Amino acid sequence: MDNNAPATDNPVDYIQHHLQPLAVGDGFWRINIDTMFFSILLAGIVMIVAYRVGKRVSDGAPTGMQNVLESLIDFVNGLVKEAFPKPNKIVGPIGLTIFVWVLLMNAMDLIPVDLLPKLADMMGIHYLKVVPTTDPHTTFAMSLSIFLLCIYYNVKIKGFGGYMKSFMVHPFGIYLAPVNFILTLVEELAKPLSLALRLFGNMFTGELVFLLIALLPWYIIPIPGSLWAIFHILVITLQAFIFMVLTIMYISMASEESH
Amino acid sequence: MNVTATLFGQMITFIVFVWFIKAYLWEPLTQAMESRTKKISDGLAAAEQGQKKIEQATIEFSTRIDQAKTQASSIITDAESKSKNIVEEARVAAREEAQKIAKTSSQQLEQEINAAREKLKSEVAAMSLLCAEKIISKEIDKKMHDKIIDEVVNK
Repeated sequence: MDNNAPATDNPVDYIQHHLQPLAVGDGFWRINIDTMFFSILLAGIVMIVAYRVGKRVSDGAPTGMQNVLESLIDFVNGLVKEAFPKPNKIVGPIGLTIFVWVLLMNAMDLIPVDLLPKLADMMGIHYLKVVPTTDPHTTFAMSLSIFLLCIYYNVKIKGFGGYMKSFMVHPFGIYLAPVNFILTLVEELAKPLSLALRLFGNMFTGELVFLLIALLPWYIIPIPGSLWAIFHILVITLQAFIFMVLTIMYISMASEESH
Repeated sequence: MNVTATLFGQMITFIVFVWFIKAYLWEPLTQAMESRTKKISDGLAAAEQGQKKIEQATIEFSTRIDQAKTQASSIITDAESKSKNIVEEARVAAREEAQKIAKTSSQQLEQEINAAREKLKSEVAAMSLLCAEKIISKEIDKKMHDKIIDEVVNK
């Protein structure tokens, strides 16, 4: 209890304690159990719902959850069709998955910041980070998967030579090939990096603000706490949406014939 | 941040998650939505066709009704005139028959009267002959007198 004791005693300790993930192992095999647990838990919930809806799907009048998911699919499909001239089978599911997953992981932020760590502490788990998207491992896992898919599409559609050529001739023409190569490389690498860091940064600072609010005296907390939570609903949704839209954009850029 | 197994664990989770959503949610739902779109457009087309059919049927119905009405009225007038004719004919026939019957009966009557008269005449003749015979049986030759009487009778 000592580390979780009333925040005002030692604010720095309190915040550092909250930002410490529950991890096992060393070096490469260091695994953040809390991140894995909550992200897989949320994914599992979505999968169960998806499986139940998908099994009983009807092409008559849709009801209940099917209605919700159909409007979501329509929404994602609209974005995909805008970005893709040719139909693509995998982008839609990726976009939907990202949106739902990121939205739910972000939404963990709205659970009172001390609640789950406190409960875990009572059960003998002394460190717990509840929001998986405040762990860069999660955001980079998604952005790197998408980056690999982009490379796959680049090579598949332009051919390996064509892909390398796009590094050489873009944006200044073939005579400045080395400059082009560096510029394009930075541009390409910036995509997954910015994608992951944007989400991570937003969620991390959001969590940090909640922690700072939690340091205030209890009778002041409700006002900034509720205001920040309401504002954060917007951030949560917006970040999930941005992540999805950029994913669709990047994959569509990768699968274009040539610049 | 160090590259750790967490990153790869999350990547695997992500890939499995995407695959699952694609296989169990996205594909059945998009298919259902497409087939629903098709169903609805089919249904609308069918409804339009049905509407057209109803209009056609209404038109046909009213023309048929009109036809039937005219047919019925013509049948009725036919029947009426026929029945009038039949009645008229029957009346004529009956009258003729009555007249015929009356005629034949009057003829018969006349014949019978004539026959009776003839008979009476001959009987009267016979009686008068008998009387005359009795009166003058011994005076005159029977054959001569027969001749005279016959002449009288025939006159």
